Amino acid sequence: MKMTKFFAWLAIAIGVIYFFVPLLGTFEFSLRMRRGEYSFDAYGSVFSDIQFQQTFGFSMLMALFTIIFGMLLVVPTAYWVRLRLPQMRPVVEFVTLMPLVIPAIVIVFGYLRLYNSSSYIPFTGSTFGTNVLLVMSYITLSLPYMYRSVDTAMRTIDVRTLTEAAEILGAKWPTILFRCIFPNVMSGVLSGAFITFAIVMGEFTMAALLNRPAFGPYLQLVGANKAYEPSALAVIAFAMTWLSMGLIQLVSRLSKMAPARRA
Amino acid sequence: MSFLVLDSLKKSFGQTQVVKDFNMSIEKGEFISFLGPSGCGKTTILRMIAGFETPSDGTITINGRNQSGLKTSQRNIGMVFQAYALFPNMNVFDNVAFGLKVAGMPKAEIETRVKEMLKLIHLEHLADRYPYQMSGGQQQRVALARALAPKPQVLLLDEPLSALDAKIRVSLREEIRQIQRQLGITTVFVTHDQEEALSISDRIVVMNAGRADQIGTPSDIYNRPATRFVASFVGTLNIIDALVADPAANTISIGDNVIPLREPIGALKAGDKVSIALRPEAGSLSESAKGDTALTGTVVSSHFLGSVVRTKFEVGGNQISFDMFNAPDKVLPQPGETVTLRFAASDLLLIRD
Repeated sequence: MKMTKFFAWLAIAIGVIYFFVPLLGTFEFSLRMRRGEYSFDAYGSVFSDIQFQQTFGFSMLMALFTIIFGMLLVVPTAYWVRLRLPQMRPVVEFVTLMPLVIPAIVIVFGYLRLYNSSSYIPFTGSTFGTNVLLVMSYITLSLPYMYRSVDTAMRTIDVRTLTEAAEILGAKWPTILFRCIFPNVMSGVLSGAFITFAIVMGEFTMAALLNRPAFGPYLQLVGANKAYEPSALAVIAFAMTWLSMGLIQLVSRLSKMAPARRA
Repeated sequence: MSFLVLDSLKKSFGQTQVVKDFNMSIEKGEFISFLGPSGCGKTTILRMIAGFETPSDGTITINGRNQSGLKTSQRNIGMVFQAYALFPNMNVFDNVAFGLKVAGMPKAEIETRVKEMLKLIHLEHLADRYPYQMSGGQQQRVALARALAPKPQVLLLDEPLSALDAKIRVSLREEIRQIQRQLGITTVFVTHDQEEALSISDRIVVMNAGRADQIGTPSDIYNRPATRFVASFVGTLNIIDALVADPAANTISIGDNVIPLREPIGALKAGDKVSIALRPEAGSLSESAKGDTALTGTVVSSHFLGSVVRTKFEVGGNQISFDMFNAPDKVLPQPGETVTLRFAASDLLLIRD
């Protein structure tokens, strides 16, 4: 019994060392910009860089659009599959898992062949069009996480009966979806939103190949040309991801304690 | 013309026909219960009235208007579900107000109507509560208020008491009936609980395999079951195998007992098999008991059930149960003892399959 406990703790210790030592090393290195003492100079340099602000802002905006349009696609789909087309569930699950199987670079090359400036739908012919294409590619990438989080939240409510209850009280589809279903799957929507945010903020391939000024390519650029700032940026990126994960935990815990309340 | 008419209603799911040529007319303000085992088609009929299922054939008419082609949201029907189906993100007030808001009623009128409904179900003090903060019985009362708030022309109750505990079920069913009488709303109630159906209905429809085996008042259904299924499904009933003794004298034999039957035997010959039914509460062991008929047999077992004692005795290969009211000084019949059960010949029912 004691031996088992010892090995369990040993496994945890190895895991912690494996994950945290490089992170601590990176953090420690990011503080060494000033010769002979620790400082946050690297962070100051990063935050004062106009390119950091621009790329960070751009990626935030893209993340926001990805979340909004992704949820507008995923919530009605998950709802419809659950309510009317349960036999389609394996197909939809397979489709939503595709981005995990197909590398991002293959997807983006597919996009470029289909939507280049000389194609029938020339998304890449303008900056706005390319941004739209970038948002769509981010939606594709985050589909496995968004769909699963929303579908799991829908499993916790009786979608069919709630829909029928609303329908017999005279409600039409938009009312049912946005007033009866959406608020009750908000925990899933928020979980999906935070994970999407984390994915979009760190994504490199799509943005680089579509030549958009996103945070991912900026990370790569800084990494290739500076010494201490990349470490600071890596720590910032980790902090953002952890913050998103923490918020997912918080939302799911709050939703377990009490259903959504009206303000 | 009747208020709610179900005419030649049929419904199939794939190859399976779950409702077979169902006809019924319901008067305004009537309380009708659909009673039957799981899978008999009672809920399917309710769902067709609501518009959740489309009939394979036949029509549904409410207040003279054919409901075919009308969506659920256009039918002005109220429904209470087994699983309450309150919106978890809305408090009691908003749940009850939902149908009124959807209908575009002015805010002040909504408030008045919701308060009126909450008063009706005695839950005015819980208007700010959320469904998760209430008991099952309270939630179901809110669901009833929500269904009634938009003044529906028909109220559908889909096993609304099934998820509640025994005491709440009894009090809530009485409350539902009292509210239904007060509002005079035409109500269709689906249940598999015979006691519920018998206690609150104007008429009961006993469903079996997609058909109505019998439609009648609770008293008719219980005392004069039309088929073997109705007889066995409603209440506890002894089904006794007997032989025709003398068709001219209208008598049958059960073992060594030859007894008269009130119902005409018909074209059967002497020695033909017949099934007759007898309620356990119909007979008595007392010699002073009213009754022109008697069956003598041997006691198999006696069980104390609280308010009654149920005794089984054997006659001609049949085990017949009968109930006696419990009393502190009551001596239970012992196995092996010979007893004579006295009852009126009119209590014997000839069962036609």
